[in-house]
Amino acid sequence: MLKYTARRFLEMIFTLFIIATGTFFLLAAVPGDALAERAEHLPEKVRVNLYARYGLDKPVMERYFITMNGMLHGNFGESVIFEGETVSDIVKTKGPVSARLGIQQMALGITLGLALGIVAAMKKGTWVDYSIVCLSILLISIPHLIFGILLQRVFAGELHWFPTIGWPKGDLWEVWFGGWKYTILPTLTGCFVYIANYARLLKTSMLDVMNQEYILTAESKGLSKWQVMRRHILRNSFIPVVTNLPMSIAMCITGSYFIEKIFAIPGFGKYYVEAIGGRDVCIVMGQTVITAAIYIAVVFLTDILYTLVDPRIRIRGGKK
Amino acid sequence: MEELTAAKFKRVDRSRFDTDAMVRPTVTYWQDAWRRLKKNPVAVFAMLLLILCFLLMALGPVINGQEYVKINALMKNKGASAEHWFGTDFLGRDLFCRVWVGARASLAVALGCTAIQIVVGSAYGGIMAYFGGWIDEVMMRIVEILTSMPSLLLTMLVMMVMGNNLIALLFAMCMTSWCGTARHMRGMIMQLRESEYVMAAETLGANPAWIIAKHLVPNTLSILILNVATSIPNYIFTEASLSFLGLGLKDPVISLGVLISNGQSVLDLYPSQIFFPALVLCIIVLGFNLLGDGLRDALDPRLRQ
Repeated sequence: MLKYTARRFLEMIFTLFIIATGTFFLLAAVPGDALAERAEHLPEKVRVNLYARYGLDKPVMERYFITMNGMLHGNFGESVIFEGETVSDIVKTKGPVSARLGIQQMALGITLGLALGIVAAMKKGTWVDYSIVCLSILLISIPHLIFGILLQRVFAGELHWFPTIGWPKGDLWEVWFGGWKYTILPTLTGCFVYIANYARLLKTSMLDVMNQEYILTAESKGLSKWQVMRRHILRNSFIPVVTNLPMSIAMCITGSYFIEKIFAIPGFGKYYVEAIGGRDVCIVMGQTVITAAIYIAVVFLTDILYTLVDPRIRIRGGKK
Repeated sequence: MEELTAAKFKRVDRSRFDTDAMVRPTVTYWQDAWRRLKKNPVAVFAMLLLILCFLLMALGPVINGQEYVKINALMKNKGASAEHWFGTDFLGRDLFCRVWVGARASLAVALGCTAIQIVVGSAYGGIMAYFGGWIDEVMMRIVEILTSMPSLLLTMLVMMVMGNNLIALLFAMCMTSWCGTARHMRGMIMQLRESEYVMAAETLGANPAWIIAKHLVPNTLSILILNVATSIPNYIFTEASLSFLGLGLKDPVISLGVLISNGQSVLDLYPSQIFFPALVLCIIVLGFNLLGDGLRDALDPRLRQ
């Protein structure tokens, strides 16, 4: 187990290194740079100074080594388009905003989705089952872009129950737990797709497990319906749910860009899009590496979680 | 113990039975799948819905006799009427025509991306599974790196270099999406190669081409068809979202995403301009989702009674 963890950790570092390198050279290959627009009408001397200020006058390879060296020491450099800001500033101020949005929508969506999935599987073939299936197909057929606009229009524009745009500001408590009226609509917008996906996934998986012979065995042993459900059916049908988790997290990171745009939420995604548009190498590098690291860490945790959910799966290098 | 004597047995007249007769016609896997798909009312409904959408897309502007680019300064921002079925936009252009012409672009991008995803993904996955060893290891690492990168970064960079056009969008959206198919194919083929019937075929002396054509392809094809049905709605969504953010297609090229984005800017004054493109988008996606669900049931032999 320890050997496996160490190996995986080294692989993660290597992957991150390749991603950082790739991102740097991709950005370098795109024509134009962050300062081109700003320096266009400046006198020659000022322009040279400006380029020197951000180190953009150096050759590509030298810039690459400076950036990578900085990253090793946790210093991603200074933004060009958001003056005076660094990656750590953005992580500190915008990180919690996006994290809260993501956690809220996934927590709400996955909980509701799993609950509906269990109900649909238990009431298989009744109108309850059919309406849950109908609901989930409808929910995944409406893009959250349109859901967002619709919710915003109805609940903020017509009924005035919630503010149209914005996000709680202030101290740490306020950012993480305050201002619910701002966060409800974006959270709802994002959570529908999880409700639909997880309800369908769990239902299919539970039906699959219910047909297995060990369920018959458990029932003939005289276990109560709830014991069979809890100990045998649920435990086994959660395996595909766990497999799907990293996909959902990746989806959540991308999906949040659009939700942040609709509700004008000052999150990670908005900065990312602007930074890529402005070819702001430091910010893009920083955010890419952080997002990738989160994703890789989640995949790793999922692999560990597997062994807890399904004892049949043994990790390579563990017990033979 | 009772003795078995010849007297206890009676000879049956064999000529009464036609042993060669087939009680039921032989049905191949595909015929069977098609038959079950036809029996599923939801899937039939979805197919009809999609055929209707395709017809409207193909004929769109012909049906109500309007042109999608014709500007009419006297008819700006009108609601739905007998002349303009979905109303008109801020330049007085007929929205009905624009929606269906835009849907063409959306669907073309979705189909193109799906085709690239399936071809590249299955070829890549097949190579990984076939060669194995260090080639598999290296190729798998590449897939891992691509999936760990935020897809928006690659999409935006491609669009920046190639410009806001259809071909660029096609490439931009396919950059990472084939990885899922590749992984899936790799897993499938590795599992199939270990299976007993492939071993049996090898033992009987079948050559590799026969095994690939007769065993590997048909068994992975149903998975690929499902992959197609679920990928198309995803691409339609992604196209709409990217165009909405201003990162995808831009006027004068129109797609459903561009129309929704245009409609959103006048949402408070003329809600019909976002309603109709959004409705058409949802109907097309609903059609593909329902069809995909029906296909899942029809193509999985384990689900038959």
